Amino acid sequence: MDVSPDVWGQLALEASQVYLTDGTAAKSPFAGTTIEKLPDKVLLHIFSYLTHKEICRMARVCKRWRLIAYDTRLWKNVSLRPEISGLHVGSLESLLALISIRFGPSLRYIELPIELITHTVLHELANKCPNLTHMLLDFSTAMQLHDFSELQAFPTKLRYLCICLSEVIFMEGFMRKIYNFINGLEILHLIGTYEKVEEEEEEIYEVINVHKLKSATPNLRVINLYGINFVDDSHIDAFSSNCIQLECLAVNFCNKVTGSTLKTLFQRSRRLKCLLMNGTNLQSEYLMQVEWEKCALQELDITATDLNTESLQDMLTRLPGLRFLSAGQLNGLNDSVLKTWMEAGNPRNLVALDLDSSDNLTEEAIYKFLCKHGHQLWGLGLSGMTHITDSLWQTVLPILTNAKILVMGTQERLGINILVDQLMDSIARNCLNLERIELRWDPDNLRFSDKSQKAIDTLRVKCLKLRCLCLSDGRYYEVVKANFERADRMTVVRTLTNCRVSNYYLLSNYKDLIFN
Amino acid sequence: MPTLGTYKLQVQEKLLQVARLVNKCFKTQMPNIKLQSSDGETFEVDVEIAKCSVTIKTMLEDLGMDDEEEEVVPLPNVNSAILRKVIQWATYHKDDPPPPEDDENKEKRTDDISSWDADFLKVDQGTLFELILAANYLDIKGLLDVTCKTVANMIKGKAPEEIRKTFNIKNDFTASEEEQVRKENEWCEEK
Repeated sequence: MDVSPDVWGQLALEASQVYLTDGTAAKSPFAGTTIEKLPDKVLLHIFSYLTHKEICRMARVCKRWRLIAYDTRLWKNVSLRPEISGLHVGSLESLLALISIRFGPSLRYIELPIELITHTVLHELANKCPNLTHMLLDFSTAMQLHDFSELQAFPTKLRYLCICLSEVIFMEGFMRKIYNFINGLEILHLIGTYEKVEEEEEEIYEVINVHKLKSATPNLRVINLYGINFVDDSHIDAFSSNCIQLECLAVNFCNKVTGSTLKTLFQRSRRLKCLLMNGTNLQSEYLMQVEWEKCALQELDITATDLNTESLQDMLTRLPGLRFLSAGQLNGLNDSVLKTWMEAGNPRNLVALDLDSSDNLTEEAIYKFLCKHGHQLWGLGLSGMTHITDSLWQTVLPILTNAKILVMGTQERLGINILVDQLMDSIARNCLNLERIELRWDPDNLRFSDKSQKAIDTLRVKCLKLRCLCLSDGRYYEVVKANFERADRMTVVRTLTNCRVSNYYLLSNYKDLIFN
Repeated sequence: MPTLGTYKLQVQEKLLQVARLVNKCFKTQMPNIKLQSSDGETFEVDVEIAKCSVTIKTMLEDLGMDDEEEEVVPLPNVNSAILRKVIQWATYHKDDPPPPEDDENKEKRTDDISSWDADFLKVDQGTLFELILAANYLDIKGLLDVTCKTVANMIKGKAPEEIRKTFNIKNDFTASEEEQVRKENEWCEEK
């Protein structure tokens, strides 16, 4: 529920006026207690609930509020990207003033858009903000890079750096100036323009030199190359040749990656436990060359790749310690893969499994698999398959007693209806640890009765850790949302357009992998 | 079929549960403590409820106040009308899970005030600020959070002049200072 702030203000104002206008003026015994009596610490606490924009406005109220608004403790994490709900800083002069007066040693995280990434700004950050450890530089809208020939200093304590690349701007003029300062980096994100790509074939430019970058960053633990159109196997090879600490590598939506260097990657990066390759161009024969039995890999995403049945079977039977598998939209994944994997005993450590839209799996094979391993799962996704309905879920829910994340349903219209009341009831009785759940079914396929309130009540009361329940927008969504709101759990129920549930929350490096 | 052994275990477990329950009954009856407000009124409160105030909790621990003695805890900074409200709030929230640690990276939201709290806080400004002062002095995080959120909601969306009017704050800037502070902050206003 979004109560407009004005309503609150109005309520309080009216409440205070009640005292003033009911004849016996100033009846409130505490009329003398004004906001000015609150100690600075408390005002700071109040201000911490305001956005930076609002804090700036409050500085103009009076001298004391100005001091509090400028307190550096309110300015630890600052985004200056206005299109992503950050502040809009109009001029470089104002930013320079802000850095020294307002941010100072408190600043730990900053997001800068292209127009504010200049050598003077970076010098100022390096000099005035010794505790800056996280930085995001957004070059994605760049038409032209500033001149960095005078760049002499750069924050030296960075642990996390995220660079949003542009499709056409070559970064080397900037990068070669900062190589000397980023040796301590542990987490690197390079974000490509995957989401902006249009249909027409355009020329691809290698806008950042990964081979040089890797030499400057020997301490990387987490590398995320996201949707970058030029990234290929040689770049994976480059990082693996220098980053001995590497434990998590993500190349989701880098569609030139085929996997030809995975064998050497695993030979060199002994600590690698998480490999995410959603939407890449993996070739089965390269995967079969990897020495899976020797590697420490625990978390793997091969969603939306063309891997064949043979390579999947080969990999899963040789990989001993897999805990997390995302294998959605995978035609090669069929019943025999699940069966041989199970027979090899290798899912014994599995805690998260996503089989979204893997249409070649039968209900029976999934059922058999879950009978054996369902009890150990924290996360399970069986969405996007028209043949997996509430009848399978009803039979397996009693096994899924440890589930924290469940994704079910398909948005395709079905010939049959889902009995959602019974399903909710069953979830509530079996999955007491549930934190996130998504029901993707079309609202017209959800059948519910006047008893649905009772089922939702049960779910709400039993699953106290539930913090996200995603439904397709429709009548049932309205019913569930109203029910949770009556119980003051305002933010739990959401529509699919606002929120999607995935097993990614269960990745051990989930927090490091967040970017935007 | 349960064996005799497991049956015995089950019985033992049940007995333990009963013992715990009995214990609890006595406890909830026994240890009330007395809190004395600044204007001399005393309130008898369940110790567990009183302990949601970190200040009272440490006081009890430091003074080694035991259940046996009939001690009175003086609270010279809280007057009886406010103390009554604080106790009412703490009693309603006695079974709440402890408030989550503040995550600094997370944006703090203010739209999650429960309707009970919202009703409870429909008071005049003076009372609201007195409650904040009491929550701050008694160190009750949950109450401080929700009262501060309420004030933040009163601030949101208002221009400086409206804020001054709402809270009866005097503008102590000179004209030139006002111009100066406007300039200092104009960068973050909408273009």
